[in-house]
Amino acid sequence: MMAYLQFVWAIARKDLLVEFRTHERLTAMGAFTVLVGLLFSFAIDTALVRTQDIAAALIWMTIIFGGLLGMGRTFRMEEQDGALSGILQSPIPLDALYLGKVLANFILLSMMVALVFVVFTAFFRLQFSGSVVALLGVVSLGVLGFVTLTTLFSAMASRSTMGESLLPVLVFPLLIPVVRFGTQATSRLYAGRPIAEVSGDLRLLAVFAIVFTIACAWLFRFVIEE
Amino acid sequence: MSFGLEAEGLVRTFGGLRAVSGVSFQLQPGELLTVFGPNGAGKTTLLRMLAGVMRPTSGHVRVGGESADVAGRGWRHRVGVVSHQSLLYAQLTVEENLRFYGRLFGLTDLKTRIPERLESVGLADRARTPVRDLSRGLKQRVALARALLHDPEVVLLDEPYTGLDPHASAVLRKQLSSLKDGRRTVVLVTHNLVQGLELADRVAIQVRGRFASVTDAASLGLAGLDELYHGAVQGSA
Repeated sequence: MMAYLQFVWAIARKDLLVEFRTHERLTAMGAFTVLVGLLFSFAIDTALVRTQDIAAALIWMTIIFGGLLGMGRTFRMEEQDGALSGILQSPIPLDALYLGKVLANFILLSMMVALVFVVFTAFFRLQFSGSVVALLGVVSLGVLGFVTLTTLFSAMASRSTMGESLLPVLVFPLLIPVVRFGTQATSRLYAGRPIAEVSGDLRLLAVFAIVFTIACAWLFRFVIEE
Repeated sequence: MSFGLEAEGLVRTFGGLRAVSGVSFQLQPGELLTVFGPNGAGKTTLLRMLAGVMRPTSGHVRVGGESADVAGRGWRHRVGVVSHQSLLYAQLTVEENLRFYGRLFGLTDLKTRIPERLESVGLADRARTPVRDLSRGLKQRVALARALLHDPEVVLLDEPYTGLDPHASAVLRKQLSSLKDGRRTVVLVTHNLVQGLELADRVAIQVRGRFASVTDAASLGLAGLDELYHGAVQGSA
């Protein structure tokens, strides 16, 4: 088990090291987040609409679209100079390769999500009166569900001639549960509702994240093998 | 008796195209086979199947008698690959690249092993240099250090001289000659007759996916190989 976790960490560590050297994905996701926050702040007439009521939907849409910008490039670094072949020639189990990629993506997307909350709180002067722990749970499970799917489909897109343009078409329909339950739970927490009102959403997000992590880890070999 | 490397009836098709068609050979430990062939002969496809990166449509590969199935992972400790691509991450340093691959092979003595391998390819002073700052020749030497990091019994070389200037080729050739230590089984794939013949114990000429000819290198001079090669290529045209 330790050896397996070391494989997972080796992949995640390498991905994070490359990203922190290049800032390629973080820059794209960060710039997108700030610009979208800015555009929304101009686009929404706060005299007619209470931003507090629509904040959760805006936050999750920004996470999904901004996240896709970064996650879609998950396998780009592996395409340079045949690096993926080097990994495939090694004894690392393919599901460990996948989970390493998921872990790195989870950390990178969590950084973007933190920025999303800062930007939207600043631009819309949002007040949060719910449970911070519950919000962390909702966001973490939603992000995990998101990265399990986008990591798998990013591998698929990297092997397709259509490349990244294929990714949204493949992944958006499957993200409906994340958007639906993530937005609903976040919205209720911003409204200061009790945790009991979001526990059902939390459970569904957890089931979604677990099922898709297991299924995608198993399916990954069929995507990556030639 | 187990061979160092054994291929049995390897076939790989892509749709209607038969890229590799019934290739079989057996190599003893210490033997070096050079596979020559024109562009599109299926040499790289063959090597990718031997490396376990590509699943054969039919046929088997065995490494030291152990089935080298694509789904299997354990046997991969026994094989190292040098390609015309470096398989390295340009943003990482030489040492970081080797450490990453060392971890994938479950190696625990990387603190001593990495300097030793870099020393053996003459790059001890480049450990902290980012790979993107290296010349093509130096990258290939790092690629060789990476392929030998886990001390494999079988080494697969896919056009390792591609893009190298004459000096860098000569340096790499010297490094590759050290692979002939009587212990390792080596397959070298190239279309360069001179470079391929120098190190070979046996030569095979692959044309249109098949081994058109397999012979001992000792009985061939360059002229003989040239004649054999062109005969095989033209014979299949």
